[in-house]
Amino acid sequence: MSNTLQVPTAAPGASAPRAAGGAARKSLLTRSRPWLLLAPALAVLAVLLLWPLVRVLLFSLQDYGLREIVSGEPNWIGLANYGEIFTSPELYTVVLPNTVGFAVLAVAGTVALGTAVAVLMASLGGFWRTVVGSAIMIAWAMPAVTGTYVWIWIFDADRGIVNETLQALGLQDEPVNWFTNRYTFYGIVLLNVIHHGFPFVAITILAGLLGVPKEMLEAAEMDGAGPWRRFWRIIVPNLKQVFAVVIILSTIWDFKVFAQVYLMPGGAGSNREALNLGVWSYVESFGQNRYGFGSAIAVLLTLVLLGITVVYVRTMLKEEEL
Amino acid sequence: MSTVTTEERSDASRGTRPEASSDVARLRKGRTSARKARVAGGKAVLVVLLLGFTLFPAFWMLSSAFDAQAGAGGQQLLPREWSLSNFEYVLTEGGFDVFLRNSAIVAVVTVLASALLALLASVAVARFRFKFRTAMLLMILIVQMVPLEALVIPLFVQVRDLQLLNTLLGLMVVYVALSLPFGIWMLRGFVAAVPVELEEAAYIDGASWGRMFRSVLLPLVMPGLVATSVFSFITAWNEFIFAMTLLGGASENYTVAIGLKQFFGEHSNEWGYIMAASTIITIPVMIFFVIVQRRLSSGLVAGAVKG
Repeated sequence: MSNTLQVPTAAPGASAPRAAGGAARKSLLTRSRPWLLLAPALAVLAVLLLWPLVRVLLFSLQDYGLREIVSGEPNWIGLANYGEIFTSPELYTVVLPNTVGFAVLAVAGTVALGTAVAVLMASLGGFWRTVVGSAIMIAWAMPAVTGTYVWIWIFDADRGIVNETLQALGLQDEPVNWFTNRYTFYGIVLLNVIHHGFPFVAITILAGLLGVPKEMLEAAEMDGAGPWRRFWRIIVPNLKQVFAVVIILSTIWDFKVFAQVYLMPGGAGSNREALNLGVWSYVESFGQNRYGFGSAIAVLLTLVLLGITVVYVRTMLKEEEL
Repeated sequence: MSTVTTEERSDASRGTRPEASSDVARLRKGRTSARKARVAGGKAVLVVLLLGFTLFPAFWMLSSAFDAQAGAGGQQLLPREWSLSNFEYVLTEGGFDVFLRNSAIVAVVTVLASALLALLASVAVARFRFKFRTAMLLMILIVQMVPLEALVIPLFVQVRDLQLLNTLLGLMVVYVALSLPFGIWMLRGFVAAVPVELEEAAYIDGASWGRMFRSVLLPLVMPGLVATSVFSFITAWNEFIFAMTLLGGASENYTVAIGLKQFFGEHSNEWGYIMAASTIITIPVMIFFVIVQRRLSSGLVAGAVKG
């Protein structure tokens, strides 16, 4: 029976697929076993993830509204939806800056803060490292929905603590509605996303930092390299892979922030200045019943993320073979 | 500072590098002991700032949840009137007893179904070599990156066609699919970490593949299975966009993530209730998060010291 096993991997993804040498000798059951094991999962993935992906592409080429949903009759209009997106002034003045600009700031902020916290944690003793580690775990575990509501409450226009504190300090005369201005709106989203996202970066980079050989850092210190120089010349090159993975994953996550924007006052479409790609797609689809147009926006968002994912997969493949 | 530079210059002119570096080292040693205190002080300030920033939202949520007058204005850091009245209201009239039950049902069914499917699939990709294996793994990896906003439109149409809108069943089916790719990806590592020799020993003892799976592989993969299950539980518990879209019309079927909307009024928001409900939602996630963090690391360590 032991021939049912072909040379398996010793560690997660340690060896490349082998050519099936003795395939002919194996019984039908043995040969089809992997497929039998995979079949249920594949069926679910095909019906609920792959087919919808194909369908969103098909919808994006149609004028798909309530009538089409009910009748099921396709109404093909070619690339008209995409034409409308790319000629819409909203795309260039509001949506793209809100999506790309926000992602750039959020990734930079998350990675910078996460790295700083990792360096700080690495220099702390066991007790304080545990304290800080537990604290950032709490920030990490906070669900996006409840976390967003807490930030809204903190910045609430009428009774939020930020307004009350600023008024008590005499810095402003009356409450400010932070959610109507596009920049303060996204400032709060940024705070929310960085607060929720930096623990992952910190923990991942801390694990990498603890793996950097101590001798290297000591040798550099002997040679007179200051902390700043040691960080850029030794730690960063050593953790290149870790940084790459962390940056790419953060980029993917920050490109598709949805709940953090949608739940904010005015974020669900009533404040057009606050739209990003994901929210725009959702609002057009479910708010205006323009499912075709919304699908086209969603396809564009998916393509952007797919591009980033390809870079990610390449980085991963460099590190380990599947 | 000036002495250092003059010394260095004179040393450099004489060309005696070793002496120069020892002088510099001595000088630096003197400075470091003085600097050490400053560094420690700076670190303490940084830690305090970091803890403040990290914990403030959670602290503020709790403080408002226990304050009967939260949202009345003029709130202090600690509740002025400690009470459980917000929680009481949320769990009775607020309807969160029903939302919690709905969320628990959805999450448990999602966890069980996706754990079973993911385990079988991960054994296939970790233990067998077959055609399209790498392609399959790449597909699983890529599919995780697809934004939910792109899936929500076709899945809404699909669930509507199946007459499952406004039902928990429709939501569960979608969640199983959403948590599968990550589950397969993670379990693959745990399965691969189980020493093959153990499986071979089972075969030598005359066990069939099914028996080996049940008695050898399953118990050893259990920690990984628990970790993966906790992750899919958290996904199902926190998920927002599908719950909002698929359950839109039936508030008796709401999950906790969208149940919060109940407390947002036209003119004023009941912040005490919202924060109490948020606390109730957050606590199970935090507990599970701590568990999974430990399990994950122990699972990874177990993988590293393979027989």
